[in-house]
Amino acid sequence: MAPESESPPPVASKPALEARGVVREYGPVIAVAGIDLSLERGDFLTVFGPNGAGKSSLLGLLAGALRPTRGEVFVDGTRLDFGAVEWRRNIGVLSHQGFLYAQLTVAENLQFYGRLYGLEDLERRIPERLAHVRLEDCSDALVGQLSHGMRQRLAVARALLHDPDVVLLDEPYTGLDPSAAAVLRGVLTELKDGCRTVVMVTHNLGEGLALASRVAIQVRGRFAWRGSREELDSNDFERLYHRVVEGRA
Amino acid sequence: MSAYLGQIRAIVWKDLLLELRTRERVVAMGAFAVLAAVLFNYSIDRTVVRPQDVGAGLIWMTIVFGGLLGVGRTFHLEAEDGALQGVLMSPVPKDAVFLGKTLSNFVLLYAVSLLVVAVFMLFFGMELGASPTMLGLALALGALGFVALGTLFAAVSSGTRMGETLLPILLFPLLVPMIVFGAGATGRLLSGRPVSEVAGDIRMLAAFALMAVAAGAVLFRFVVED
Repeated sequence: MAPESESPPPVASKPALEARGVVREYGPVIAVAGIDLSLERGDFLTVFGPNGAGKSSLLGLLAGALRPTRGEVFVDGTRLDFGAVEWRRNIGVLSHQGFLYAQLTVAENLQFYGRLYGLEDLERRIPERLAHVRLEDCSDALVGQLSHGMRQRLAVARALLHDPDVVLLDEPYTGLDPSAAAVLRGVLTELKDGCRTVVMVTHNLGEGLALASRVAIQVRGRFAWRGSREELDSNDFERLYHRVVEGRA
Repeated sequence: MSAYLGQIRAIVWKDLLLELRTRERVVAMGAFAVLAAVLFNYSIDRTVVRPQDVGAGLIWMTIVFGGLLGVGRTFHLEAEDGALQGVLMSPVPKDAVFLGKTLSNFVLLYAVSLLVVAVFMLFFGMELGASPTMLGLALALGALGFVALGTLFAAVSSGTRMGETLLPILLFPLLVPMIVFGAGATGRLLSGRPVSEVAGDIRMLAAFALMAVAAGAVLFRFVVED
């Protein structure tokens, strides 16, 4: 009699994005002072914090734009290796800056980044992405002629062009009018599709809470408070935020 | 490999398209070349020196100083809106970024080098010599070595406050071999000497260009990475 086939032992799934004790120092200044985080696919973490708390540095570390002074970052269980580049395909970053060329058209900017990511279906993908951020009528416009809100929407299209599993957003609502903010909110809401992991840093308590499944408040390089969105009373969050930032919580 | 070449092509395409739109660098380099030739024309007493005796050196110095104007601004447009950061965060090997930018700089500088020779022929009454092909090759190899080192050091200087002041200080000492062999080969070719006389200079220029490109490709990541 043939032996009964054994089912393989359950394997713990690796976090989609993980940071282990990451520290980032700029000379004597400690921007990120030892942060651990572990995010599963589908998590949307919003990091709040005052100016100078090290939020953008944390995002830079998670994006592989900054090298940690100490600690490690993993994407899908793979440690970020600065000598390799393949892991960068899994990450999309929307920064303070749009990473756009003002003298190229909207479509040319996306073509350029699409080619860098080795995307082969750009003829289909670019119009789709532009329609997604409501810029389908501007594909031949020079980026330098766009308003700030339109540039920000194009930057979102650029960041998501290659369908990254991990999306990192640094103050995406800064300087947007209500209409542009509404478009952006719609796009970011669609990121909560259960397939992606999103980290957003923002000062905007309302927008940040609306999208988050997990929340952290970063103060002086550390997570001074963290929890899930369900634990929070959104009406009381502003008070909690100020208490944490002032060190009273 | 084809993906790697595609990434290099994308960077060259983007750089040349930007230059086509702005004409920022090629106009500056071209204008400098013409003005330098005009000034050299008035600075030389033709009753004392023959133009072909000094022409090669002047051509190469014009290429170097003019090229510096263009190469020094290699990362200028990249700095706007953090575009270089976007490129560096994409899955492109850093050496591919370097090679792409070096190639696009080469296209611009080589075009300017041909303009310089044409302008000097016009003002100094010089002739192309017996082998225009070899002259073109010498200029191409010199331009390639120059832009390889220039691109690397432009990346270094773009991250500093001294910026464009620092670039010539870093770059010029390393260009001595290129000037020696480039001016030597050009002088002999313009004087109508046989190609066999310049073969050694051409080989040295090729070796210099190869070493500059290889060193730049290896070192570039240490310059641009955090």
